[in-house]
Amino acid sequence: MAKEKKDKVVKVEEALEETAAEETVVEEAVTEEPTEEKSAKKKPAKVKAAKEKKPRKKKEMSTEKAEKLFQKERRQHLKEKEKMYKEAKKNGTLDERQLDPKYLGYLRRRRILGVVWPIARFLILFGLGFVILYPLIYMLSTAFRPNAQMNDPSVVWIPKSLTLSNLQDVWDVMDFGATLLNTLRLNIVCSLLSVVSCCLAGYGFARFNFKGKGIMFGIVIMQIIVPPQITVIPLYLQWAYFKMFGLVEVAAGAGATTFLGIAINTASNGSHYISLIDHQVVMYVPAILANGIRSGLFIYIFRQFFRGLPMELEDAAYLDGCGPFKTFIRVMIPNASSAFLTVFLFSIVWYWNDYYISSTFFINNHTVALQLQKLSATLDAQLFNNAQVGTRRKIVWLEAGCLLSITPILVMYIFLQKYFTEGLARSGLVG
Amino acid sequence: MADKVVNEAAEVEVPAEETVNETVEEAVVETTGKASKKSAKPPKEKKVKGMKIPYERRKALYGYGFLAIWIVGTIWLFLRPLITSLWYSVNTTEVTVGVMKTTFVGLQNYIDAFTVDTDYTTALLSVLRDTLWSTPIIIIFSMFVAVILNQKFHGRTFARAIFFLPVIIATGPVMSIINGDMDTSGYSGGSEAFSTMFETDMAGELLSFLGIYSISDQITEMISLITSDVFNLVWNSGIQIIIFLSALQNIPVSAREAASIEGATSWEFFWKITLPYISPMIVTNLVYTIVDSFIDTDNEVMTLVLSEASDWNHGYSAALAWIYFLIVIVVLGIVLAIINKHIYYEV
Repeated sequence: MAKEKKDKVVKVEEALEETAAEETVVEEAVTEEPTEEKSAKKKPAKVKAAKEKKPRKKKEMSTEKAEKLFQKERRQHLKEKEKMYKEAKKNGTLDERQLDPKYLGYLRRRRILGVVWPIARFLILFGLGFVILYPLIYMLSTAFRPNAQMNDPSVVWIPKSLTLSNLQDVWDVMDFGATLLNTLRLNIVCSLLSVVSCCLAGYGFARFNFKGKGIMFGIVIMQIIVPPQITVIPLYLQWAYFKMFGLVEVAAGAGATTFLGIAINTASNGSHYISLIDHQVVMYVPAILANGIRSGLFIYIFRQFFRGLPMELEDAAYLDGCGPFKTFIRVMIPNASSAFLTVFLFSIVWYWNDYYISSTFFINNHTVALQLQKLSATLDAQLFNNAQVGTRRKIVWLEAGCLLSITPILVMYIFLQKYFTEGLARSGLVG
Repeated sequence: MADKVVNEAAEVEVPAEETVNETVEEAVVETTGKASKKSAKPPKEKKVKGMKIPYERRKALYGYGFLAIWIVGTIWLFLRPLITSLWYSVNTTEVTVGVMKTTFVGLQNYIDAFTVDTDYTTALLSVLRDTLWSTPIIIIFSMFVAVILNQKFHGRTFARAIFFLPVIIATGPVMSIINGDMDTSGYSGGSEAFSTMFETDMAGELLSFLGIYSISDQITEMISLITSDVFNLVWNSGIQIIIFLSALQNIPVSAREAASIEGATSWEFFWKITLPYISPMIVTNLVYTIVDSFIDTDNEVMTLVLSEASDWNHGYSAALAWIYFLIVIVVLGIVLAIINKHIYYEV
């Protein structure tokens, strides 16, 4: 909390010193226990320490260091206080308030909780963390073991020997190299387009007043709530029998057999269409029109974010002669980098994991998620000569496939973890 | 997402304020242009050559400009399919090359869903029951975890990263493979040795050890429901934990400080300070959880809808989806109406 606050302060570049000092005082007030007389002695030293830290805090990077230093000092201070308390107890110089049984009980409870709680907390977190990591550990354990050891009762977690052949097989079956490239291209282009279009829409909702804004925002909320399953079939028909607002008809009338390089087909009622199924355009177009996967949510995030920026920014820009669009480009976008990154990352993740929409629109256009979805079937076809094989016999390959397909996203997560976990909060989804 | 509910309250004030501004400005325009509100534009045009349209109105036009892309996209790729789907739901459909042939049948599809279809009502009820049952558990659980993750301890960043991990990988087909060998390990998965851990009724054994196992079947069932579902519980609460966490971080230091000086224990602190402060986020999470579990492709109704669609019964499938969607909206409305009374909004 304090850290976040600090960061914000750094951004504003004002009142830095005051908050720094304020924070230390606040922290101290929290840790202060009613043995005031003793801590009072210590207080000047603390304030001094806070002052000492100030110049270092100006350098943005050293805030963590300062925090550590502060924590160290705080611990030391508490220790000393405890010592003094014990001494006073021995000498019998405790004042009445400190001997109050209620107060003593409070201290005892605190002490017990202070010992028990960290242990309990560790156990809880460890247990739950294990539940979360379990499938991943299992994946790792399975993907690298020879298939034969799957049925070996003496092998539980750690295989007797390691092999890369599972991964190799799956790599070939999924045609992973080409698939990965295809998916990356699709994901990155779609995510970039989504970010741009949703950002525009979000800004429009955040900072302008016009007729019908309420209704339009209601539609954004609808886009979040309405399951894609409702709209996907009409959408499929739109793409599969794409008429380009009559242009295809005109082209066909002029005697063309292809339109934009796609063969023109004739429908049963005599009209002409082209089929965009399997073309990546069917993902790009919704993305650029702010109607891609989870676009409603992204618009919402951007709106919240822009609403959180001070109005003065715009007024200043306006006085300096910027129109709304120029303001947006020059003032708002540079300020929104964190929101951009968050939305971009989430967009990548959701496009990466999407298989419902892409399975509707793509038949031979392979993405990682689609390949994984039908991995079981392709394994049957390519490794087992079209025999129906139970999951049990294929488990190593399935898990290897899983491992392959989550690795890119996992690597991204490991490096950019901060933007995932803090991004949502930062971009003001919650504010 | 769901924050709209929370923000709606705050929002209501803002536009009101701004409209006041606007009217003030327009009043200014009025006095200078000496024109009525409605015809404020033309006289102004004559008077000030550079500024043809008042700033506020120009800004509004820019607003449409910013939304133009979204408006086109939404009409073409969201509203039109939505209305088409609604149209299908009152028709029987037949897929031919290039066009979908529809025959109007009125509400027949909707009536059939409840009277003829034997699976739909049961699926609907079971999904409803499951959602109503699992939502409070998810909320309480994620709040609990968020409170823990908000404390200071070593490895906190790491712990947070782990708890958010499911959001990254749980949404795709990876989940179905993972779930596949968690659930079906008994006969098809090769993972008996591992999965037994989640299958043994540990809680049950503990309870029978304490001698309170078979007091009441219902209690037993409830307990085993919770414990056996730990996996799904943990894997479904990533976003909720993050939302609660950031809400927790927004609790002002002054509140913490005051409570600490008053000698509040952490228990009291939670009920008196934390809970009221994060209560708006409870609404958010509630909406998110309900919507999330309703639109989950794996739930029974969705499976039914999809299987009807893949049988080319698009009309009937659309009707099922629409009934479902309307029920979701009604459920959300009821839940929000109940909850909203107990929410503390900081003024």
